[in-house]
Amino acid sequence: MKAKKYLPFIPVFVAYLALFLIGETVSGIWQLIAMLAFYCALGQAFNLFMGMTGYVDFGYVAFLGVGTYGMAITISKLYSHGLGFGLIAIGFALAIVMSVLLSLAVGAVALRLRGAYFAIATIGVNEGFRYLIEGAKLWNGSEGIIFSGPLRMAFGRQTATVLTTFAADVFVFIIALAAAFITLVYMRGKVGYALTALREDEDAAKVMGINVTKYKIIAFITSAALAGLLGASAWALKLTYVYPPDVFEITYTVEAIIIVLLGGAGTLLGPIVGGLVYGLSKYLLAIILPGFQLLIFAPVIIFIIVTFPEGLVGFVKLKTRGTWLENYIV
Amino acid sequence: MVGHQLAGNLIQGLILGAVYGMATMGLSLIFGVLKVVNVGHGAFMMVGAFLALSTFKLLGLPPVLAVPVAFIVGMLLGFIFYRVAIKKLIKGPELSSLLATFAFGIILEEVVKLIYGSEHRGYNWALGKFSLGVTVVPYTKLIAFVGSILVAVLLYVWFNRTKAGKALRSVVEDSEGARVCGINVEWEYALSFAIGLGLTVSSGVLLTLFIPVGINPYMGGHYTLKAFVIAVLGGLESPYGAFFGGLIFGLIENGSYLLFSSFPSLEPFAMTRFFSFVMLLIILLIRPEGLLKTK
Repeated sequence: MKAKKYLPFIPVFVAYLALFLIGETVSGIWQLIAMLAFYCALGQAFNLFMGMTGYVDFGYVAFLGVGTYGMAITISKLYSHGLGFGLIAIGFALAIVMSVLLSLAVGAVALRLRGAYFAIATIGVNEGFRYLIEGAKLWNGSEGIIFSGPLRMAFGRQTATVLTTFAADVFVFIIALAAAFITLVYMRGKVGYALTALREDEDAAKVMGINVTKYKIIAFITSAALAGLLGASAWALKLTYVYPPDVFEITYTVEAIIIVLLGGAGTLLGPIVGGLVYGLSKYLLAIILPGFQLLIFAPVIIFIIVTFPEGLVGFVKLKTRGTWLENYIV
Repeated sequence: MVGHQLAGNLIQGLILGAVYGMATMGLSLIFGVLKVVNVGHGAFMMVGAFLALSTFKLLGLPPVLAVPVAFIVGMLLGFIFYRVAIKKLIKGPELSSLLATFAFGIILEEVVKLIYGSEHRGYNWALGKFSLGVTVVPYTKLIAFVGSILVAVLLYVWFNRTKAGKALRSVVEDSEGARVCGINVEWEYALSFAIGLGLTVSSGVLLTLFIPVGINPYMGGHYTLKAFVIAVLGGLESPYGAFFGGLIFGLIENGSYLLFSSFPSLEPFAMTRFFSFVMLLIILLIRPEGLLKTK
């Protein structure tokens, strides 16, 4: 009985494994696969909060941004201490700490608020934090941090190259799997039931004695921590620099929203399907119609919301209800 | 000396604040009537800014003449977007209408980028200046100041003295009651969405008179943020609250600039932007119903 709860993780695992193996065996497409994995992971992490609560965090990219800074600061300050791979571990730890702290600060205000007010409170988080870094000249201010040198000095040229070109992407896969697994654990546990009740009717849930705020905070912090990890690997480790306007760019929040909506908000497989569809179409559009991606995707958002609000996986989930597949498609 | 500088900054802040206030009335009107937050607010202002630029550069006319054109463009966009999406989303979860207005904003940005490119573009419309002792005010800014107040007064008169305005207010008070009295509630929703966007787009025209670095398709983002701070200051649902919220915001913004520039370790321009975000969180924390609302 207990194991049955986690059956839906099988298709998730198979999907990521297949993606990874394709990238390993077919030569020359690793970069594309890494991009797809990033979008799937972004969707998984974002979905953990938006999909489960029905709240949109328009400032979500800020958590990736501070996570990127966490790794960048660690490497550029501690590279000469001979920590070995402990350096990377500390970087990830700092990324989590920083994104969790930011989510606590934002959440303390925003999570008391409902719907529209929540969106209003979050929309400035990324801009606000970017201008704090630039205005108060924190962490090198508007110049950002370049740490390719320190990274080479800490690990040697060869290991550093493996870290940036391969390990960083593998971490993204691991984060995506972790995000999916946590989503499933939450879904099948108390958190999921509480958040479903909240999504359906917040007042009723409160009256029934559910501590709505507590579960919202749990989902918010988890989602933020995963975003911090994602920033630390996919941006910091991979690119070896951090530049404030890049890591607080609202486009990434837009992409996360599109991915989750395409796949189906609140579903487990949705972010994978959404991430693959979005990533592949973005890749193809960049070849066929460069510069038109957003112009094409924005109407898609409207189309999905108006006519197809359950998303691709949500739609399949409805169709397979009552068949043996319902244990796997969640 | 510092007193002089502060007085000068506050006068500039008041002038800019009136434009901010007018720029936020549309946001509050739409939220007040439809309970929809226009997350693409800044993008609509950006459209007005580009209309001003085209009026001046292509037609050689004073940019303020674009205000009525911008109002009509905004209303048209409003009716189209209402028909396409908002109409079906009003009764749904807030998530849907938030995402839809967000997507409208992206569409506008991308279309304008397609036409004008993404570089900054500026124009220089100079009519001379006059001195107030502590500061010098260009006539163009005076026109924007007077124009904003005029629009606010017109909206007030329309709302309170005309039949159409009264019908709209009745929908805000009680949409079911209004329906029973024979008011076409659907139409009132569409109309207020259109008027709200008309106001927003025309405010973008006046705003260009304050942007020396020029405009670009992505300029809207932080005006959305400012508009949210202002709207929340004014209680989010009242266009007049928003207007006074704008005045207060203009004063605080220009006053805090002076404060931040007295610290050499800070970059004052970025700090004022950070400060407006902090202000938003503080207001939402202590008085989510707005500072100006007495209820």
